Amino acid sequence: MGHQGYATPLDDIAAWRGAAPAPGTLPPHLRAFLQSGAHPILGTRGADGRPLVGSGTAARVEADGTVRVLAQRLGNGPLLEALAAGAAIAATFSHPRDHRSIQLKARAVTVTPARPDDATEAARQVAVLTDYLLRLGYEPAQARGISAFDADDLVSVEFLPEQVFTQTPGPGAGTELRAEPAA
Amino acid sequence: MTALDLRAIRGAMDGICVSYLCTCDAEGMPNASMISQVHWVDEQHVALSYQFFNKTRRNLLATRRASVIAIDPSTMAQYRLQLDYVETRESGPLFEMMRAKLSGIASHHGLEGVFRLLGADVFSVESVEQTAPARLVPPRRGLCLLAAARACCADMAAAEDFDALVDAALDGLVRHLRIEHVMLFLAEGDGRLFAVDSRGYGRSGAGAEILPGEGVIGTAAREGVPIRIGHASADYRYGAALKAAALSAGLLAEAPAGVPMPGLQTPHSQIAVPILAEGRVAGVLFAESHEIMRFAHEDEDALALVAGHLGLMGALLRREEPVPGGTPAPLPAGCAQSSVTVQHYPRDDSLFLDHDYLIKGVAGAILWLLLSEQAATGRTEFTTRELRLDPRLRLPAHAENLDARLVLLRRRLEERGACLRIERTGRGLFRLVTPGLVILEEVGTVAAEPV
Repeated sequence: MGHQGYATPLDDIAAWRGAAPAPGTLPPHLRAFLQSGAHPILGTRGADGRPLVGSGTAARVEADGTVRVLAQRLGNGPLLEALAAGAAIAATFSHPRDHRSIQLKARAVTVTPARPDDATEAARQVAVLTDYLLRLGYEPAQARGISAFDADDLVSVEFLPEQVFTQTPGPGAGTELRAEPAA
Repeated sequence: MTALDLRAIRGAMDGICVSYLCTCDAEGMPNASMISQVHWVDEQHVALSYQFFNKTRRNLLATRRASVIAIDPSTMAQYRLQLDYVETRESGPLFEMMRAKLSGIASHHGLEGVFRLLGADVFSVESVEQTAPARLVPPRRGLCLLAAARACCADMAAAEDFDALVDAALDGLVRHLRIEHVMLFLAEGDGRLFAVDSRGYGRSGAGAEILPGEGVIGTAAREGVPIRIGHASADYRYGAALKAAALSAGLLAEAPAGVPMPGLQTPHSQIAVPILAEGRVAGVLFAESHEIMRFAHEDEDALALVAGHLGLMGALLRREEPVPGGTPAPLPAGCAQSSVTVQHYPRDDSLFLDHDYLIKGVAGAILWLLLSEQAATGRTEFTTRELRLDPRLRLPAHAENLDARLVLLRRRLEERGACLRIERTGRGLFRLVTPGLVILEEVGTVAAEPV
């Protein structure tokens, strides 16, 4: 933790080294982070060649390391189409608790219907997110508005992360977290 | 081509809610991040804050396109903007507007040392699309700002001289725009600003000084654009800069002098709007509040309308012919039999009454000139026209609002309870009122030391 109580990129780099993840998988602390109420921001390149940004609702991580970002169709239509058509994904998870932000990238993505229990888990994560937004000073109506979602509109965006970066604000932001970190 | 008017979604670009950004590299690999500031520039352009040389930056320079989602905090509606990079500005009005706002955002998030604006990346907006519906009914403010600005301008239109104009503008801002703390500053030729009057502080603060580029007021004046902060930020606090500058210049005697700024101790929102007249910044209208994010784009619009009107009216009134009338300004009781010693420091035209600081700058030079003229000739009646033409004042030939200087001087004398008064005897006419004995002391030359 930095001196202000916020996360720093150096924390992320140190934690990554300590966890020594197997290649192609996320260490336990990042699996936990992705499912702890961090807000997912999604990016891809659209069919017209332009970047496209979208917003996710929550995330789940499978035993085999597959990351499943739950996102609404509403507002994400062209982004989901581009991903389904084979475009690469960038997903940045940012937590209002301490501004810790982690970005995952992958070239192979599938878009599938959400599972029956996804909405329940999404609601749990969103409740945590809302709680921290309130602590950050958002008005209750605003905090609920940011994280509001329609359970019937969720899809699952699934990928195995190929690259992991710390995006936490501060010196070192943007550093790639590799299995064998450079000295 | 934009389906939505960018102006209608300016509320999403105030940095209250974080925005989302995606760029791509040349191979099409995307990069997603949060961005603290999307700034509304005009109907076709926005600017993003460039704070770090990172992947986003490299992508932007390589592929020159970005996609942004901005959230309107009053409704929580989300909008996606597809952007084409135009240029980066590393100084100037847009940069300063964004830097001020960013410092407020950074301080709000406890990231004051981390967020530093390196540039304002300007983009043209290729398209705007709403990606999430409004989820809140925006709160009613109970105030129609356009009608309020109109009423304020109507009050100002009734003013017959600069004195009345200042009161109409300040009272109008309080009454019609419901701004609780407001100050009016006048610009000197060298960029310094002096307070003329205020509302909501318990004292006028007339004569309080702001250095060029200091805080939101000095920055608004230097750049000629409104500067708005929604969260208190140490970067834009007043007083410290002035004292430090005085101390480093070796003007130790000057540090405790000067009229204290009447500002709030812990303002959360501040806005400074330049008063433009004849192509230059004639002054600044400044408002602040204990409330967070008190001033939105529409408040800035309303203040800019009032400031514009103030600039025009000030210029118009200056051209009027002298008209008799006016208000007597009797000296405080006890003055008649007393004497006052006036010290003048030519270096900055600062004046001290019996060794207590009064004022400096053009207002100081004017009073010194009047006192000298009275001592030499016994005259007490003057016109603004003769002052304007007097070579001893070294005023710029145009755009010098002497009426405004006199208003500042008069209000400062009154607030100070001084045994000197400037009495309005009509439009463009005034009288110097002095006690029994006035002693004038010219102190040193440019390298003056206080006695």
